[in-house]
Amino acid sequence: MGQLFGMAVWLALSFLCCLVSMRAATAQTTDTLTIGYVEIAGDPRYAPVRGAERMILATRDRPFPAVEVAVDEAKPLSPVIHREFAVVRITAKTADDVAQAVLAALQEQHIHLFVLDLPGEAVKMLSQAVHGKDVLLFNATAPDDWLRREACSADVVHTAPSLAMTTDALAQYLVFRKWRDVLVLQGPRPGDAVQADAFVRSAGKFGARIAGRVPFKLGNDPREREQNDIGLLTATSRDYDVVFVADTDPDLEFARSVPYRTTRPRPVIGSVGLMADAWLWTWDRYGAPQLINRFLAKTGRHMTGLDWSAWMATKLVTTAALRMRSGDFGKLAPQILSDASYDGVKGLAVSIRPWDHQLRQAILLATGDAVVASAPLPGFLHATNELDTLGDDQPETPCRLGGG
Amino acid sequence: MPLHAKGTGLVFVSNERSNNIIVLDPGTLKLVKDLQTAGRPRDMHFNADHTLLYVACGDDDVIDVIDVAKLEVVGKLATGRSPEAFAIDEARQRLYVSNEENSSLSIIDMTQNITIKEVPTGAEPEGVLLSTDKTTLYVTSEVDDLVHVIKAEDGFVSDSIVTGTRPRRFAATADGKELWVSTELSGEVWIIDRATDAVTDHISFLPPGMRKTDVTPVGLVITADGKTAYVTLGHANHIAVVDVATRKVTGYVLVGDRAWGIALSHDEKTLYVANGLGDDMTVVDVASRKATESVPVGRTPYAIVIDD
Repeated sequence: MGQLFGMAVWLALSFLCCLVSMRAATAQTTDTLTIGYVEIAGDPRYAPVRGAERMILATRDRPFPAVEVAVDEAKPLSPVIHREFAVVRITAKTADDVAQAVLAALQEQHIHLFVLDLPGEAVKMLSQAVHGKDVLLFNATAPDDWLRREACSADVVHTAPSLAMTTDALAQYLVFRKWRDVLVLQGPRPGDAVQADAFVRSAGKFGARIAGRVPFKLGNDPREREQNDIGLLTATSRDYDVVFVADTDPDLEFARSVPYRTTRPRPVIGSVGLMADAWLWTWDRYGAPQLINRFLAKTGRHMTGLDWSAWMATKLVTTAALRMRSGDFGKLAPQILSDASYDGVKGLAVSIRPWDHQLRQAILLATGDAVVASAPLPGFLHATNELDTLGDDQPETPCRLGGG
Repeated sequence: MPLHAKGTGLVFVSNERSNNIIVLDPGTLKLVKDLQTAGRPRDMHFNADHTLLYVACGDDDVIDVIDVAKLEVVGKLATGRSPEAFAIDEARQRLYVSNEENSSLSIIDMTQNITIKEVPTGAEPEGVLLSTDKTTLYVTSEVDDLVHVIKAEDGFVSDSIVTGTRPRRFAATADGKELWVSTELSGEVWIIDRATDAVTDHISFLPPGMRKTDVTPVGLVITADGKTAYVTLGHANHIAVVDVATRKVTGYVLVGDRAWGIALSHDEKTLYVANGLGDDMTVVDVASRKATESVPVGRTPYAIVIDD
């Protein structure tokens, strides 16, 4: 009985101590650092993937919960820096309404840091609209290379890997495996040509060879069988080690039909098969499983590359706030844009390239459920940072934001 | 070292992926026993007389208790989710364990096998160090770059110290005045003054021929005389030898792939390094600072302890 009573008192005391410590934290926490998450209603990039029979093969989820996971992770920092973290979801009706919504959030809610879930064009329009204001934008979903080259902006940090980074990762892997000869199958969409161009450029950069570049067309018309029959498309006289498919059709109807239908028994990469992405939920090194489990517990789904990029953007903000012991934009933005490195749970520490504000990061090469390799691959060396073997290095980019 | 149990000399290596402890003969380095444990064994500690070995098993939320003479699991202590590292206060029969996926530190009564308190920490708590007077606990949070200072008595978090990126493990200097913390992603060891909780210094590493980005320190150990520290450098595949007084790196020793856990023999003549990505253990001769042997262990070796 006495022991029980003692236990009760002890528990009560420990409860009291927690109340007191919580109150102390609340009393000191006078401010909230709010991050804006910007999206467009009905963004077609999130339309579900449909099969030929209109069945839904896969859903595509927005990365908003990833921002919430990063905000949750930062909660223990609040008593240390006397500041809470929060996220506000800003949904614009159309791409034309994005700038107005962001400027309103800046003026009315004093939000300066925005994680963008926007297509490349919308990112560009927004960066022009906010130029000169106390705003830093994090592009978490648009891979477009032109957004980091001709249209690059000092107001945008790209946590999403660029297309060039992903095709460089694939090319490195092929050279690493000595699968040097590649047959490129390219679809009719403008995006298909952009992807194929990026891959051809990467192949040249790392010493893979283009054995052929063949246009494909989705369909059953026997008059066009040279373009729609995978057997014929892949029956080139010149041999190849691997087939790269460039297909930006959201349903990937053609790409999905290529593996196992090639004339020669060759692996398929690019839009299907071995793919390059910022993240895969089966990645299990460097503390990744813990993040994946936190994400799964919050959302009930697997964490994607878009999720990682949005999580990383938020993590840059919360870590900068911790390091500066501040939530002031005037202190956070220079810290984020400095040469400081951050933990991206992908091995090599991530950091921002001064010349185009692209986040340096490892790229995962993966099938649907297995990580095959992480780029940079062994043997691809760089004078200062191996991660700069992926994507636009300083001498390669037309963008000159800083860093000499 | 006031009291020292004369042990078997056996070397114990916990392996995260093969769910076992590989027990090796210290002389021949031959396998003595492949000891199956609960899932994902990680941090290990002996009791004072080395009759029992405790191992935190992350996938099964238990600490397995191993009889050192029999080399068998003889008991289990329930923990929070995904126990990683721990410290034992044997006099009070208390065990303090970080729960990696629960963002908490459990205070466990070992006699009753009950959790008497769960202290919230930053995300992914890892290293746990208990002060020699058993009153103060230090716990790292890998994700939040913090070292929590916690009162062992009631779990009250009295301070949270900001460190470099991804703080992992601790070593206390022999005089008890300093706490050394490995910060994996910033590639450093941070030094905290325990009287004031202030960060006083950091040490950087760069073994010959390696990149700064490869340097990911995790394990660290300080000699009994307090003069020398050994730090594993992760992907840089080396350990660093540090002069504690001057905080200068005096040498590097090449070991295996992703140098992780480290242990020093009681006579301080031999170092053992677990190579996390090499599935092997490197034996280093302290005097010559050379790796003398490399032996296969289990999959993803994590920690090493020696019964000497």
